[in-house]
Amino acid sequence: MYKVNSVYTNAGVACRAAMFGLLATVAISGCAEKENPVQAADESATPGDFLVVVNRPNTLHLVDLKQRKVANSCQLPGDFGPATVAMSPDNRVAYVLTNRFENIYGVDVDTCEIRFSARQSQGDERVKSIGSIAVSPDGREVYTHQNPTRLLIDRYEVQPTRIAVFDTAGGLDAKPVRTFVAPRQISIMATGADGTLYLGGRDIYAMNVQTGETRIALASQSVGDPLESPRDSLTVWPIGGVNHEMVRMYSAARFKDASQDMETADYVWGFERIDLATGVAEAKVFGPLEVVLFSGMARPSDPNQFYAALTQLKKFDVASQQELQSVDLEHSYYCVNFSTDGSEVYLAGTFNDIAIYDADSLEKLGNIELPGGDMALANTQVFSRAL
Amino acid sequence: MKHLKPLNEKAQLLDKAAEEGGVDEVVAMQTVAGCTATTDPGWEVDMFGGVAGLCQPMEADLYGCADPCWWPAQVPDVMVTYPDWTGDAPSAGKDWRKLDAVFPEDDS
Repeated sequence: MYKVNSVYTNAGVACRAAMFGLLATVAISGCAEKENPVQAADESATPGDFLVVVNRPNTLHLVDLKQRKVANSCQLPGDFGPATVAMSPDNRVAYVLTNRFENIYGVDVDTCEIRFSARQSQGDERVKSIGSIAVSPDGREVYTHQNPTRLLIDRYEVQPTRIAVFDTAGGLDAKPVRTFVAPRQISIMATGADGTLYLGGRDIYAMNVQTGETRIALASQSVGDPLESPRDSLTVWPIGGVNHEMVRMYSAARFKDASQDMETADYVWGFERIDLATGVAEAKVFGPLEVVLFSGMARPSDPNQFYAALTQLKKFDVASQQELQSVDLEHSYYCVNFSTDGSEVYLAGTFNDIAIYDADSLEKLGNIELPGGDMALANTQVFSRAL
Repeated sequence: MKHLKPLNEKAQLLDKAAEEGGVDEVVAMQTVAGCTATTDPGWEVDMFGGVAGLCQPMEADLYGCADPCWWPAQVPDVMVTYPDWTGDAPSAGKDWRKLDAVFPEDDS
């Protein structure tokens, strides 16, 4: 039913090409892990950083960040979009929201085997999920936020939004095992170590996935600060995995006093984050609002350094709320991420290349070009594991 | 409404109606989900009224807007209405010549 690429497709292509190329010595050494079992065993024993991302037409890539190459590519069923990825706890299975925001596929990133799939639209009910997919900390459940609409013969009826809970052992035509009414306008989700599901929308909500009980974990739109305008938050990029956090940015006007005079206000960038280990919520201004930025996160080795990007990559000092460095990018990138040690920044989304920058100097270190087309809104997941 | 300035006659009427309690207060959506109008200015100008904040080049932003129905009046929405619009053009930067204009289908 599913078209699945063979394992290490790109490595195989590179090996064949090397047989006929002048750079055979270099290229063959790069392919040896598939042809020399002894060397493969040694390399596989050493954990390294990997990145998972999906691009057009609908292809999931496992990228070896140390080798700066695509280690494996898996063709997914259906059409592209939004290509939001959440990883299983062992970082072996990627759960992808795709097929125009409707289907979920659980894909073994090493073998391309599809272990789980669910069509959220059923009967006359069309269901879309906007970037909202998360996996339980034990890997047994996957969650989506559903926006259902009944397509009736004479009208559409918008239904209440809900959280759907799927059993990851539910096979290739899984149905929700539980659903709970949930707030509208949810665009990213994450799970805490205690199993709490966090939903990013007008506020950040915390849901008990056994009972459906929901509370506000971090007040954003409802914060009610007379010295701050309503926050504007744009995100469809769940990216905080390397920091074990849920993070998103907001922009706002900070007023001098309760008169809320826009002429004298300061315009600022801030972040909202949930520590997924402890559940502690935090919102903090990190710098002046001077350019448009789409995603950002703190450096793993130094939470006082906050990086954000769109057409520039910028580094901020959170304590002083000052910009430390800025570089113009070769094109806009939506999605920031880091190596697990915080030494490198990875920029993705929009086109089909991942740009790599040194986190200290913001010097560009290179690009990894993905076979295929645009990543568009896709997020990246970075993790360390043995091959 | 207190942070918006009316610039034309219609806007002034809206402002007046709001002052008199004639309309419900409109709260901007913080998070846009699916096909809907947004308060973002679009590709003509950025949030500061200039162009420096727009994506560079614009093709980098094209599918990020078409896929989620971000600006349905400006870009065909791939999510629902024109699912095949980008089917032959996986790269907006390289394949933009293949992206054609769209028109409502004739239901008659």
